[in-house]
Amino acid sequence: MNSFALSHRLLLRQGRSGSLGLLVAGLLVATAALVAVSVFTDRVGRALERQAGEALAADIAVNSRAPIPERFDLEAQRLGLETARLITLNTALFVGEASLLVEVKGVSPGYPLRGRLETAPTSSADGQATSDIPAIGEAWLEPRGLRQLDAEVGDVALFGVHELPITRALTFEPDRSGGPFLLSPRLMVHIDDLRSSELLGPGTRARYRLLAAGDEQTVAAFSDWLQGEIDSANQAIVTAADADDQTGAALTQARRFLGVAALTTLILSAVGVLLSALRFARSQRDLVALLKSFGATGSEVMSALTLMLLWLVAIAVLLGGLAGLVAQAAIAQVLVDGQQAALPPPRLWPVLSSALFTLLMAVGFALPPLINLRQVPPMRILNQSLDQTVGLSWILWLLPIACAMAIPVIQLGNLQLAAIVLGGSLALAGLLALAGWIAMRASGALASRARASWRFGLAGLRRRRAAGVIQITALGLGLMALLLLMIVRTELLGQWRGSLPESTPDHFAVNIQPDQVERVERALLEAGAQRLQIRPMANVNLVDSTGRLDNDRFGRQVNVSWIDQLPPANRIAEGEFFSADATGEVSLAERWAERTGARLGDTLTFESGAQQFTATVTSIRDVEWDSFNVNFFILMSPDAGQKLPHQNIASFYLADGDVGVLREISRSFPNVSVIDVGALLDRVSDIIDRVSSAAQVVFVFTLLAGLVVLLAALEATRDERRHESALIRTLGADNALIRQGLLIEYGIMALIAAFLATVGAALVGWLLARELFDFSYQPSALLFVSGFLSAFALVVGSGWLGNRSVLATPPVRILRTGKA
Amino acid sequence: MLCDHVGYTVQAPSGRLDILNDISLDLNAGETLAIVGASGSGKTTLLGLLAGLELPTQGRIELAGEDLSRLDENARARLRRRRVGFVFQSFHLLPSLTALENVLLALEIGGFSEARDRATGALEDVGLGHRLDHYPRQMSGGEQQRVAIARAFAGDPGILFADEPTGNLDRRTGEVIADLLFKINEDHGTALVLVTHDPRLAQRCARIEEIEDGRLLAKQPEATGAPCEPSSRLADRPDG
Repeated sequence: MNSFALSHRLLLRQGRSGSLGLLVAGLLVATAALVAVSVFTDRVGRALERQAGEALAADIAVNSRAPIPERFDLEAQRLGLETARLITLNTALFVGEASLLVEVKGVSPGYPLRGRLETAPTSSADGQATSDIPAIGEAWLEPRGLRQLDAEVGDVALFGVHELPITRALTFEPDRSGGPFLLSPRLMVHIDDLRSSELLGPGTRARYRLLAAGDEQTVAAFSDWLQGEIDSANQAIVTAADADDQTGAALTQARRFLGVAALTTLILSAVGVLLSALRFARSQRDLVALLKSFGATGSEVMSALTLMLLWLVAIAVLLGGLAGLVAQAAIAQVLVDGQQAALPPPRLWPVLSSALFTLLMAVGFALPPLINLRQVPPMRILNQSLDQTVGLSWILWLLPIACAMAIPVIQLGNLQLAAIVLGGSLALAGLLALAGWIAMRASGALASRARASWRFGLAGLRRRRAAGVIQITALGLGLMALLLLMIVRTELLGQWRGSLPESTPDHFAVNIQPDQVERVERALLEAGAQRLQIRPMANVNLVDSTGRLDNDRFGRQVNVSWIDQLPPANRIAEGEFFSADATGEVSLAERWAERTGARLGDTLTFESGAQQFTATVTSIRDVEWDSFNVNFFILMSPDAGQKLPHQNIASFYLADGDVGVLREISRSFPNVSVIDVGALLDRVSDIIDRVSSAAQVVFVFTLLAGLVVLLAALEATRDERRHESALIRTLGADNALIRQGLLIEYGIMALIAAFLATVGAALVGWLLARELFDFSYQPSALLFVSGFLSAFALVVGSGWLGNRSVLATPPVRILRTGKA
Repeated sequence: MLCDHVGYTVQAPSGRLDILNDISLDLNAGETLAIVGASGSGKTTLLGLLAGLELPTQGRIELAGEDLSRLDENARARLRRRRVGFVFQSFHLLPSLTALENVLLALEIGGFSEARDRATGALEDVGLGHRLDHYPRQMSGGEQQRVAIARAFAGDPGILFADEPTGNLDRRTGEVIADLLFKINEDHGTALVLVTHDPRLAQRCARIEEIEDGRLLAKQPEATGAPCEPSSRLADRPDG
């Protein structure tokens, strides 16, 4: 007999069978949901990366302290990338009698490769996007530079040997990095003008940058080529995520959120596939016994069933993949608003990996029970009690599950995220199975003491022990995935959004002298500044330490501040923050401590001018660097302020962004520079918005997949229930008794599954927030109650709806056919 | 078929359970044998052992000249393909297959050539030539059992085992089925082993063996082997 032919015939003929239908539906929905979510989140992630490229004005850049070799450009162009070159250096600028230290940026045609420059005809006008760069023989100057020089567009600027008319005010530059510590306004000129200015001699501290942009594969290829070409002592490759701290941090968070969302769908898909595969294998026992009684050997039967399974999986995965692609395209179309925000086209890898995942899971979960089917004795056809199910070695499950789990880990590229979510799910699965088993045992003991509907309901649990444990485990996992996604979507995303409230500081004022603090503060408040913070800052040298620091730290300049209490957006990670009357103490930011090797208890020696002073590290702080507050790596106890020459930095939110107000402050306090970081804020805010939208989409798909899982889990014992119900009605039970029994049975399963799922989701959410997202998140009581209640209602409600037909089965049918 | 001091023991939660003890009997080609006994006496288990569905724990069974204890499960399955037909009390038709497809399935496993023609012929022989494309749910109990019979003898086996073939049928339909079985025996020389509660069905067999508590009782008087008088041609007779 040809196993291939038999499998084909069984497939075509059994295609009408209920168990095959459920398997196909489960696989189809699982694949569709997974493909839709994977492709969609991949597209959103890449769109965010592309957007973040604006912070670099390119997709990739090479930084260098010396002119970058021509061959780098040639290779980039050979690969099909656009290129541009930049040179920056600090120099003095003269306009009339006034002079100012500026940062000159010479740009080549094509700049910026990502994002747009904005210029204005005067220093007070609003900026407009432009695709121009300064022509040879002209310059563009930042408005604050114009204000500080008391100059205007049209004046002539002198730098190096050039006298260039200032033809525009430069209001926005996409790759303006440095945050609030930019002291020098920007002067932008054509790169040829900078090269011919005689400022680029030996000893100048110019910085050179080559920009490149193109499609992802080509950029990746160029990056690989660069790895082998750059001189790491003097050159560095820079990507969008490195471009600025805030955008990079937001991007990292975005990837994590999307990763969590994708993983929850994956868990649900896996549970759905498992249930479908188990039910498929279980439903074949009678068929196997029958085929064996006709003379089929065990291996022939197994080959035929395995081939049939592979056919089914292949069809379901193909159709599901197509459905997923169509679905995510439709959603992207709805969510995307305008050409500018268009998502990049789908890639093949998320589709293939999702399909491969479903394939591996389906085969992996179905194969062990299928292998077990070989042992089905043909005697089963005469007497089911002679069929003893042989237990499966757990090792059989390990390999396919491990392979399938490897795919999302590789796809996410984040082992920590995968470990928390997948590890948490596995642990929860174990707990659910154990709780289910205990409940089944306990129900048996309780049933004998209960009465009427309680006896019927509890006895039902006992009768369907194995199925009950599987149902509880599947339900609990599915619910946990849904609840976790809800937590991510509402509480964690909400917290991320909350870190950028409406009045997040969007301006910084730097170089405020100590005797100006009160007046500047008053002026800013009168101008309508909100959330105003003013901090002192001194520039000192770190010269020694009693602990071990990296050698090249000594002699370096560092910015320090002092304060009498822990500032906002800071949390003590080690030690204790100094009190208001402490002396000689210092608190370090965790990031700086890790970078330098400084530890609690070290005594650091600083030098400012001729004086030296020491401070002992008494605490390490965890700082929210993306909070847009003024934060410092090194915070000293208040006594430092008495010793050190310093300036002050203010951060504030200005509701209307009135340029006139800022101009007035600059005029009143000419040494103070006011910097607008609103554009940066907008970029981060946009990232959060996109991730929120993506999370909504994922939630819908995951909910769909979750419903299929729920139905599959509850479907498993429906036939048995119908048979039972018809039977006991012949004994005189009324609908009320049967209904109550059903509700009790499902109620107990729902109680266990919903409780453990809520606890599991809260725990995983807390772990994610703490270890990955860097939030301090406490699951709320409301989450527990609402999550538990909705999960409970979902299970009982679905179970009830799915099994209503149990009540409708007339007893006479069972007497006629022996089946319900 | 030869059954020599056969016993069958299983492990139950309460301990060892002897289902059959020291059973010996034989059957020649073309003979008919009824195995009778109360419920739980072990007759269905004996049937399964005789058909090679399971091996006895004591003794040996020879079927078609082969000692079953020397054959593994696959070998016994291969033996069943062409030598054994089976009819079950609950019919055991696949609900998602038509009558023709149910019969074809067994023939395909047996590797028979021209399976479709054989299957169609078998169904015509049992009077269901006009119901080839009907599903079991569209048929009465008697018609389903006739499909099962067609499936069992379509491959022209040497021996046909029937476990309570009329157990789920009313008396009149049961008679039709019984007539069919004995007609096969008559026309094709197929040996027939029946497990039954029905004394009238048992009486139609050439021999009756009674089991009580897993043991064969003393030899029963030879049955007449005379079939009940069919009231009309089988193919034309309605049932159910």
